[in-house]
Amino acid sequence: MSIPVSRTDAVTRILFEAFGKAEVRLFYLIGYAAIAVFFYGAYVQVRKYRRGAALKLEGGLWKRLGDMLSAVLSHRTIERRDRGAGGAHRLIFYGFMLLFAGTATITLQYDILEPLFGIRFWYGEFYLVFSLVLDVAGVALIAGLVYMMYRRGWMRLPKLDYARPDRVPGDPDFDRPQYRREDWAFLWILLIIGVTGYVLEAARLVWLQDRADVWDTRWWSPVGAAVAEALSALGLSAHAGGVLRHGLWWFHGLIALVLIALIPFTKVKHIFTAAASLMVRDPLAAQRLPRVPESQAEAGAAKITDFNWKQLLNLDACTKCGRCHEACPARAVGAPLSPRDVILSLREFAKATLESGVVPEAAELDIHGKAPGQVAMETLWSCRTCMACVEICPVAVEHVPIIVQMRRKLVEDGAMDPLLTKTLQTIHKTGNSFGESKRKRGSWSKALPFPVKDARKEPVDVLWFVGDYASFDPRNQKVSQLFATLLREAGVDFGILYDGESNAGNDVRRVGEEGLYEVLATANVSALSSASFKSIVTTDPHSFNTIRNEYPDFGGKYQIQHYTTLLKQSFAEGRLRVANPLKYRVTFHDPCHLGRFNKGYEAPRELLALLGCELVEMGRCRANSFCCGAGGGRIWVPDPVGTEKPAQNRIKEAAAIPGLEVYVVSCPKDLTMFEDAVKTTGNEGKFVVKELIELVREATVARNVEAVTA
Amino acid sequence: MKILVAVKQVAALDEDFEIRADGRDVEADFLIRDLNEWDDFSLEEAVKIKEAAAEPVEVVAVSVGPEEVDESLRKCLAKGADRAVRIWDAAVEGSDSIAIARILAAAARREAPNLLFAGVQSSDQSFASTGIAVAGLLGWPHAAVVSALSYSPGAKSAVLRRELEGGLLHEIEIQCPAVLTIQLGINTPRYASLRSIKQAAAKPIEVLSLADVGLNAGDVGEAGSLSRVRRMYIPERGRAQLIEGDAAAQAARLAEIIREFTGGSV
Repeated sequence: MSIPVSRTDAVTRILFEAFGKAEVRLFYLIGYAAIAVFFYGAYVQVRKYRRGAALKLEGGLWKRLGDMLSAVLSHRTIERRDRGAGGAHRLIFYGFMLLFAGTATITLQYDILEPLFGIRFWYGEFYLVFSLVLDVAGVALIAGLVYMMYRRGWMRLPKLDYARPDRVPGDPDFDRPQYRREDWAFLWILLIIGVTGYVLEAARLVWLQDRADVWDTRWWSPVGAAVAEALSALGLSAHAGGVLRHGLWWFHGLIALVLIALIPFTKVKHIFTAAASLMVRDPLAAQRLPRVPESQAEAGAAKITDFNWKQLLNLDACTKCGRCHEACPARAVGAPLSPRDVILSLREFAKATLESGVVPEAAELDIHGKAPGQVAMETLWSCRTCMACVEICPVAVEHVPIIVQMRRKLVEDGAMDPLLTKTLQTIHKTGNSFGESKRKRGSWSKALPFPVKDARKEPVDVLWFVGDYASFDPRNQKVSQLFATLLREAGVDFGILYDGESNAGNDVRRVGEEGLYEVLATANVSALSSASFKSIVTTDPHSFNTIRNEYPDFGGKYQIQHYTTLLKQSFAEGRLRVANPLKYRVTFHDPCHLGRFNKGYEAPRELLALLGCELVEMGRCRANSFCCGAGGGRIWVPDPVGTEKPAQNRIKEAAAIPGLEVYVVSCPKDLTMFEDAVKTTGNEGKFVVKELIELVREATVARNVEAVTA
Repeated sequence: MKILVAVKQVAALDEDFEIRADGRDVEADFLIRDLNEWDDFSLEEAVKIKEAAAEPVEVVAVSVGPEEVDESLRKCLAKGADRAVRIWDAAVEGSDSIAIARILAAAARREAPNLLFAGVQSSDQSFASTGIAVAGLLGWPHAAVVSALSYSPGAKSAVLRRELEGGLLHEIEIQCPAVLTIQLGINTPRYASLRSIKQAAAKPIEVLSLADVGLNAGDVGEAGSLSRVRRMYIPERGRAQLIEGDAAAQAARLAEIIREFTGGSV
């Protein structure tokens, strides 16, 4: 069957046909009222954000706009780790946007361009093509919605379960059924708008079946036309069609206007807040934590208004998609933390306190505690600042700075584990977390058959920032000795700072002890500035992160690399050679601070390939790597007895790889955490944990040389 | 209402230390300075009383020492002391605990507090006498090794508990003003964040000379002391020996040693 194309230009969208003047006026009145409610709500929201602390964004507006549009239009952030939801959301998004744009262009012509300038474009072929596009858009919208309903109703995804790990059943905010009701109401309202749109279109066709310009062009609205044929077949007369059209017109119009009015008050506002949040995204949100200005009396976030406007906006951007809930290592082992619930609690708190006409007294703005909307200290201290939440959030919510800023307040109050207090005091006193004498920092190098240069006394090409664990932990000292040997064999002119080096401060800062971090960073920057070197290498991803991303704020701008890239270069330049290819079946654990934080995914893998190892990836790898549990200062506080540790959870994942021989790490803290976890999970003897440095050493030493030295 | 807290900056040994040339102390370069652990608790006890009080309570930290002691005093200020007093004169060098107590007692007369707290002892010298000597010099009642305290500001007396040997507790009512030496564990000292220590720099540390507290050089130093350090040294190693070998060899050697000591009666 061919689709007739109207020859007349008269064909256009039927709008208020057969409506009395009063009825049209009433519709406009309701329309304006809906828009007024929308703008009032938007004003309340913006006022709420503006009640947060000031923040000046870096970077140009156009770049930000471009990045946001690219993320929104491509849906790449929504698609990650959930292709189904991403695809369905894309259908809904494009369906809704096209339908909205269609309606908006009608308004543009009917209410603005035609009455004011006499411009008409909503006629003829333009109208027909648009009506075809909108019909298809409606199908996309409905298909997306139906999938989302199936997903919510039948797939039983754990990440969509609102039960909270930081509350117990019976607490007023345990599983927040109001969110579930809102989710369903949103889906149903959109679905009803979509479906009634088609029935309305069909009723109009049946009603106007005698008008050639309408009826002959009906197949330009294929779904509407098909429904119309069906209604006709079922015996709907033209008159009855007219009555049905009249009723449905009002129903469809009113429900759409109600939806518009409700946008700022419901989850629908994510249309704006998520886009805005993506636009103000900080690509280094977790890597480079905010400084505390000298003038600021309180270091941390104590009140909801201590968050800046962007963070308050972040709270409203959350769509409860549960990706962070799923990725969080603390949540995975049953700790009382879900990044999602921290955000939602604070959002509820902001809504309750900052949407009213006047801001309540300071005492009512306290976000710390156990009441609904507040965040408990156990929750904040469960965080390992591994960045899994920030990394996966499709709408650029930045959980880690929020949690660390709240911890800063806990540190000010001394509300922390006594062991952590002790560690911080130790670091302050000795410059390292082991409580060892500063003088012993370079002692590990005494066991080497060659001297390691003191970079404070003579210039070197490469300054090796060793870090606490690699300097003081006996197991890691062995790795440090091997790395020094490798550097020497590769002909790298290197040195260390000896007792000039202090704890780099990465984890101290993530604990929330900003003052101590400032002391450490300043001390290291001054020690580094007294040495002469071309670039820095570090074996510790934590030190790597803070020196690379945070020291510039303290006047220390350096060229720095993790040892994996330096070793890779040495192989590429032929300064290291594989004499003894390793045939191990290995898996590689991406350290948070090397992988997610600094995108160093490739170098360790390329090294493993060079060494001849067979790499079998774990399910959670690269950006989705699962934290060992040591980050954010948690290495200084033992996990509660009787619960699974993140490192154990991870080792169980690795143990499922058949024939695994070596679990390869490239971070001193990982070595400590995972060697322990292999023992406590009963995997001792099945596979071993090794530093990549150890494998490199093993592969570069020829067998006969090894025999001689042994 | 005022509580005076006498604090001391103590020295801890660094790795591989050396004894000073005169043989009477460790070379200063090898010492790591910090606030005496007991003083953390006595200061905390004073600040807790202040925080619980309805009327204003002033907590004043006082210490005898050179300028570097300001660092420890700033820590006290960060933890909640309202002001700090440091008394120093070159003549104080070489003072024993009694001479130090004489200076602290002079400071106490000047401040006229309702209570004076000191730590039971200092972790470096362990004389455990300074606080008690202050009480003696002032003629105030005192209680040593206090492990619990109840005092409402303005009251004429305080009730305290002391732990005695054999699991006994001693409950004492003491007239104020009094000197109490505070035991570890009486409370949980708060953490002084580095930022609060930095901000405490704005609070005053009053530096007084001997003359300011009505003393002269002869009252302190070796002249004002009743004892003097003759020498400080590392004792000869004891007769410990490591038994090596596998379990059976170790057991055999152990049995042999026991037989040697008991003359073969086992």
